This record gives sequence, C-alpha cells and structure tokens, in this order.
Amino acid sequence: MTRLATGNILRFVFLILFQVLILNNLNLGGFANPYLYVYFILVLPFATQRWLLLILSFLMGISIDMFTNTPGLNAAATVLMAFCRPWVIRMISYIPEEELGIRPALKIHGFRWFGYYSSILVLIHHSVLFYLEIFRISEFFLTLLHVLASSAFTLVLVFLCEYLFYHKEK
Amino acid sequence: MRNLYLFFRKHYFFFLFLILELVSLILFFQLNTYPNAAVFRWTSSIAGSVGEIRSQISVYFSLVKTNRMLSRENAILKARMPEAIYLSDTHVYYRDDTILQIEYRFIDARVINNTTHLRNNYLMISKGKMQGIEPYMGVISEDKIVGQVVSVSRHFSWIMSTLHKSTRLSGKIQKNSQLVSVEWPGISPRRGLVREIPKHIRLYPGDTIITSGNSEIYPEGIRIGTIEEVQERPDENFNTATLTFLTDFNSLEFVQVVVDMFRKEKMELKASFKEL
Repeated sequence: MTRLATGNILRFVFLILFQVLILNNLNLGGFANPYLYVYFILVLPFATQRWLLLILSFLMGISIDMFTNTPGLNAAATVLMAFCRPWVIRMISYIPEEELGIRPALKIHGFRWFGYYSSILVLIHHSVLFYLEIFRISEFFLTLLHVLASSAFTLVLVFLCEYLFYHKEK
Repeated sequence: MRNLYLFFRKHYFFFLFLILELVSLILFFQLNTYPNAAVFRWTSSIAGSVGEIRSQISVYFSLVKTNRMLSRENAILKARMPEAIYLSDTHVYYRDDTILQIEYRFIDARVINNTTHLRNNYLMISKGKMQGIEPYMGVISEDKIVGQVVSVSRHFSWIMSTLHKSTRLSGKIQKNSQLVSVEWPGISPRRGLVREIPKHIRLYPGDTIITSGNSEIYPEGIRIGTIEEVQERPDENFNTATLTFLTDFNSLEFVQVVVDMFRKEKMELKASFKEL
C-alpha cells in the first residue's frame, strides 16, 4: 500500500516537472502540444476513493496552472476528466470493476481496452483545455484540429510510458 | 433534514465535482482577463525560479548568436562615441538641457519563461517592480516588438506576448505613414495579420510595418514585420494583408522594457478630454 502511494507521489512530482520544463516547450508543426501530465490520472489505482480522485486531479491541474499562468484552465479540464473516469471504466469493461486488477495498465488489459480508455479521457481533457482557452466560436474547426493533433501526441507519449516504465510490472 | 443529508452523501461525488469545476471556472473567468494576468503572485517566485534555471541552461545554446548580436550593437554604439566623429567645422555645439528631455528609458531584462504555441502566450522576465517596471509598459527586443507588461511582482514581470488573442497593435506603413492595425490570428508564431489598410494604398510584399506611437505602449518606429501577401477585399472598406514578424518569438532571450517618461502626462491629457 505504501509502495503504491510512494509510486504515485513520485509520478505526480515527476510528471509536473516533465510537463513544465520540457513538454510545454514542445510543439509539432504549430498544432500539437502534448499534455502528458494526464497520465497520472489515467493510471491511478482502481481502488482510489472517488473524492480523492477529484481532489488529486484538481491539485494536478492547479499545479500546472501555476507554472503556465492560466489559473483554472488545466484544473477545469482535469477535474472533468477525473469525473468521467469511473463512468468510462464502467462503460468499456465487460468484467466487474473489482476484478480489473490494481490499476489501468496496457500490459494487463490489452491494447484495445487501454486504447479506448485513454483516448476517450484524453479527448475529453484536451477538448475542455483548448476550447476553454480559445473560447471563440469563429475558431471552432481550427481548435478541433488542435485538439485532435494534441490528443494523438499525448496518446503516443502515454503508450510510450506504459511500454518503457511499466512493462515488467505484474 | 436527514433525507437531505443522505441525498448529499449518496451523490457526494457529483457535488464535489461540481464544486471543484466551479472553482476552476471562476478562477479562469475572473482572474484570467489580461490586465490582471499574474494572479498567482505568491507562486510567481516558484515559477520564476524554475524558469530561471531553465533559461540559465538554454542560454548556453545560443551564445554564438548572442555574441553576434552584442558585437553588432557594440559597433552601433561605438559609432556614436565622440572618438568616432570628426568635426569638420569650427562651430561649438551646446546641449541645452531644457530642450533635450529624455522621453523613453529602457530597462533590459532576461526572458526566463516563454511560450509561442498557445493561443494566448505570455513571457516572464527577470525584472519587476524593484527595477521600476509597471503594467502597461511596452517590451521590445532591439528595435522589434515583443509585447506588453500585464503584471509585476517584486522581481519578475509577466509580459503579454504579441502572440495573444487580444493583441491590437497600432502600426503604420513605413514608406507613407498610413495607419493600420495588426493582430495575431494564431497558429504560426511567425505570421500576423494587418487590417484596416485603406483601399487606395498600394502595398507590396516586403514593405515594412512599424509602430505608430499612437498607443502609449511602444515608441514610434519600432519594427513589427514585413508584408508577405496582400488580400484585396472587394466587398469591404479596407484590405487586409499577412505579415511576417521580424521578431523571432521562439528565441527571445534579452528584451528591453520601454519606460515612457511622459506617460502620466499623456494619460492625464486624455482623461481631461473625456471629462469635457
């Protein structure tokens, strides 16, 4: 239990630093910005209390906001994403939640399940993030392009993380 | 009462979500308007020191370019030294202090945090209230535009970059002083949009747009960009054009904050006019 908590705290700190120091400066073709910090919320254990899930997401979002000077923007996106998480898990799983294991993982649940799970949540998060930031109907389709390109970029990084760091985990 | 309690208990997840989401949205809409951008004043020192570390590392990667820039500026300054001037006549010139008053002062600062990929971009620079920086001051790099100070803390300032949704620059065409307005439509940090070009004005690719000095932010004559392509608009009163910014926003390292010594006087004059 302690090991699980330590791992998550480390991941929390590391993802914030990685996002703020490196990923925020990264930009593919003027369209795609990765927001890998959502990975923290994606792989929180299934047993996480739901209130804790919301609070942690809020903290994650507001920490990123502090560094980018966009109060509430990332927080709003992550909180909505966390709210949808239990619902998405229930929607795409065929077996009861208790039998799913410790945490959502590519290795355990397979490419298909994890792919559905992460892409739905990342799309929700990125849509809120970009539409809220731009907040202009006239740029609707341009923003949609931003959302799709960035989601793809984030998802690639999420899968990379799963392969690189958690492949050996049981 | 007990039923109400049970109701909240049963749906606590939803209500907690509602509270947190509302807090976020209130933060976003109340505090994110641009004249008051840096709301996290208490965290700006943390964000500032993280940015400081990053910029200390990244500054090494462009030492060659910085050196070239410095030596060029040295050359320009040397040309102004008395030694560089040969007096070809015997007149003696006085500098009359009551005639020559300094209108603009410049405070140099280092960029420690910068984005160009968002729709609304901000920069953080390493000087603040202690060095005399105030909101609404303009920021330039050499003689090219960068942005406008929106918020200051003791040691740092937040600059609203020209790459921002609310950018409306008052510019003019260098060759004939016609006033135009410059905006940033997003996507590319290199490309801006010139609006309100009068129909009778012939504009060609390569023409330079400079600041007009009408807006109390930038002095006159700071370079904005060069025209890339003119779009004729037969059904509107003005033409538009795309321009290439001369500023390379992605590699900004050293900037100068413009202090307008007469700003107070200008604003007072404007205010007195409104009261009439």
